Amino acid sequence: MAGQALSGLSVGMVLFLIAAGLSIIFGTLKVLNLAHGTIYMVGGFLCYWLTSTLSGVAGEGAFWIALLVAPVLTAVIGGIIEVALLRRIYAEEMLYQYILTFGLILIFGELCKLIWGVGYHTVSVPWPVDGKVFIFGMSFPVYNFFLIGCGIIVFAGLSILIRYTALGSIIRAVTFNREMANALGINVPKVYTGVFMLGCWLAGLAGTLMPPMSVVALGTDMAVIIDCFIIVVIGGLGSLSGAFIGALILGLLNAFGIYIIPRLAVAFGFILMIIILTFRPWGLMGKPE
Amino acid sequence: MILNVEGISKSFGGLLATDGVSFHVEEEELLAIIGPNGAGKTTLFNLLTGHIHPDHGRIFFRGRDITCLPPYEISRAGMGRSFQRLNIFPRLTTFENVQIALFSTYRINHQLFSSAKKLVRGETEQILNDVGLYSKKATKGGLLAHGDQKRLEIGIALATKPDLLLLDEPTAAMSPGETEETAALIKELVSVRRIALIFVEHDMNVVFGLSNKIKVLHQGRIICEGTPDEVKADEEVQRIYLGEEETHVA
Amino acid sequence: MTHFFKTLISRPPVWIAACIIILCILPFTLSDSWTSIATEIIIMSLAACALNLMLGYAGMVSFGPAGLYAVGAYGTALVMTKTSAPFIVSLIAGPIMAGAVGCIVGWFCVRRSAVYFALLTLAFAQIIWTIIFEWYGFTGGDNGIVGLPTPDILFPIRNSYYFSLLIVLVALFVLWRIINSPFGKTLQAIRENPNRVEFIGANVKRYQLAAFVISSTFLGIAGSLYGVFSGSVFPDYAYWIKSTDMLVVCLLGGIYTFVGPIVGSFIYILLSKIIAVHTMYWMLFLGIIVVFLVLFMRSGIAGFVSEKLYSSSQSDKDASEVTE
Repeated sequence: MAGQALSGLSVGMVLFLIAAGLSIIFGTLKVLNLAHGTIYMVGGFLCYWLTSTLSGVAGEGAFWIALLVAPVLTAVIGGIIEVALLRRIYAEEMLYQYILTFGLILIFGELCKLIWGVGYHTVSVPWPVDGKVFIFGMSFPVYNFFLIGCGIIVFAGLSILIRYTALGSIIRAVTFNREMANALGINVPKVYTGVFMLGCWLAGLAGTLMPPMSVVALGTDMAVIIDCFIIVVIGGLGSLSGAFIGALILGLLNAFGIYIIPRLAVAFGFILMIIILTFRPWGLMGKPE
Repeated sequence: MILNVEGISKSFGGLLATDGVSFHVEEEELLAIIGPNGAGKTTLFNLLTGHIHPDHGRIFFRGRDITCLPPYEISRAGMGRSFQRLNIFPRLTTFENVQIALFSTYRINHQLFSSAKKLVRGETEQILNDVGLYSKKATKGGLLAHGDQKRLEIGIALATKPDLLLLDEPTAAMSPGETEETAALIKELVSVRRIALIFVEHDMNVVFGLSNKIKVLHQGRIICEGTPDEVKADEEVQRIYLGEEETHVA
Repeated sequence: MTHFFKTLISRPPVWIAACIIILCILPFTLSDSWTSIATEIIIMSLAACALNLMLGYAGMVSFGPAGLYAVGAYGTALVMTKTSAPFIVSLIAGPIMAGAVGCIVGWFCVRRSAVYFALLTLAFAQIIWTIIFEWYGFTGGDNGIVGLPTPDILFPIRNSYYFSLLIVLVALFVLWRIINSPFGKTLQAIRENPNRVEFIGANVKRYQLAAFVISSTFLGIAGSLYGVFSGSVFPDYAYWIKSTDMLVVCLLGGIYTFVGPIVGSFIYILLSKIIAVHTMYWMLFLGIIVVFLVLFMRSGIAGFVSEKLYSSSQSDKDASEVTE
């Protein structure tokens, strides 16, 4: 039971990272990035590729190099997407942005298929977080705690960035009112690109952290993006702390739902989503417009 | 008495936008509401049309309490309105813009299987003619010139067959020539159709030429009311409002 | 003589009659597998047009039309397999259930607008998918329901084609009437400016709900037809990707014309069959097409063509004015 909870929480942390990116992107750019799960998946493939390529040279260190490099690569990919494609349709309606990002799901999904094939790949849990820890006579994988730790650190780091730094106040200004920020001399397009890249960095980070606990395979993007939508709606579109809470709720729901009504557990997230959208659409931590 | 407003107030957060406003409007009266920007004129309109509800006070239209009714009910009761920011149907033709309003007025807009093309043609064309847009009836609303779009707005408002018409800055952003034409058009339309009119305007020529009553709004309160001559002569109004306008209009 | 042809071609009823004649003759010129593809295109056209009632005409962006489509399909399939009702009853049951579900789902969804509306439709569609997927005992779960007992007369693919064609033509005609009625015009006005429509005396939410229910019913007809045509139903009929496919089909053809979704489904299905034969990366091409579409051809193919025709007839008008 406790093992379930831990597992649910650590998966929740990974989901938080992805959802945080999705939420920030929606909050600032007002874009629902359907392809966000695919960026996560690309991060996973990059993680696999880097660890397998570099393991000969760096041994166990390969994963840590991947952890550093893969998110940067996904951020760069995100930057290219934003500048080349997304920029052209900010003025258009939500439908076109949704469909454009759907097109990106197809393109990147197929590119992954082209490069890495249809099978699944694994990444082994790296030293030094590959052991087990004993609490109250039960053993838990250290890696789960590592994931939870990563999630908390990133949450803290992002919160500090947004709330206390100059960069954070620029992002907040642009999120609050694009025109006003423009009038104040802020280079809004650059901020948009930067925020999108930050979101993709987070997705890539999640994509790199997840494989040791799971597999790298095609189709993981589809499953993840829907979960992220649930989290972001429950927590509040644009809210970082909302994404954190939403991810925890969903992680635990997924872990324990199977004990309550096994087969409809999957639907709990959607039911919660509907309840929030009906009574409090701006989410638990969001602000009504 | 067609409209009776009793002590309505509305705040947004800490801002008191409307502060205990009371007034009434008689049949076929032509009332202008003037005041500096931010005086609460559009808020007042929104309160009257049900787009927002007052915190205190009541509004009676033809004796009926409309204070908490939704906009579509107030519209059906006989109040028409044009909006400050353009509010037409851009991708539909001028003809369709007016026709759809007529569908609603005649309560046939729920019909699923009749052919829209054939219904209320005559009256639609009549209204288009009255506002001077007959020649442009097949043009998409969004492609009209600004002045024509304002006329279309008036046309749509007329199609709802109102007894009381609210016009929010009908001559905004118009050239002097267009302004004169539009003001004359409005005067003719409301007198022929015997409609009471409340309008918000910044152009004092239009205000004094078109109205027979004026109310001056400042910081959410009516600070002066009366005939155009009375208001012109009032010192406080001159100080707060017309004083600025003198340098503007002269 | 050329003048006669010009006036003939410019009249829509001529085009429609020509298309219908071609559609009726088609199975005699095609192989069975191509007739099957044609049937798919016809059914998809109905689904796309049903979605477009909301999307292009009422301006309501739904992310979950596949949910109602699947209710239609499963409704018919379940009545066929679980009861001994006659075929016609099963056929009607699907759309009726889709309309009923559409009532409930729509009531929740129209209370919100734009992004929240879309997300609500997505959530409901996923719930429908979950119910179908998990309720193994009743719906067959992820195995779906196969081997539907359709009447023997529909076994030859040609008969199935004509059957679908007939129902779709009737359904499209009804949709066409609805769109060109005062109700349909009011929906378009709501798309343009919902606030203004409130203040010409129409209860906008009620119209949006009506549009949702009508759309759901016709989606249900399409789903029901597809189940009968293919002889089986599967949970992924309700999955969000199927919904997005439908949205792409509508955008591909053009959401602001009636024929847009029809053109879109024709091109989409044809392309998918042709490209998929040559490469296993057909989704890559679809993705590129989708991106291109959104960036450069937002009004879709039919929209693009009709814009060209409109501007050329405008310039004809201008030219004739100049010469007068």
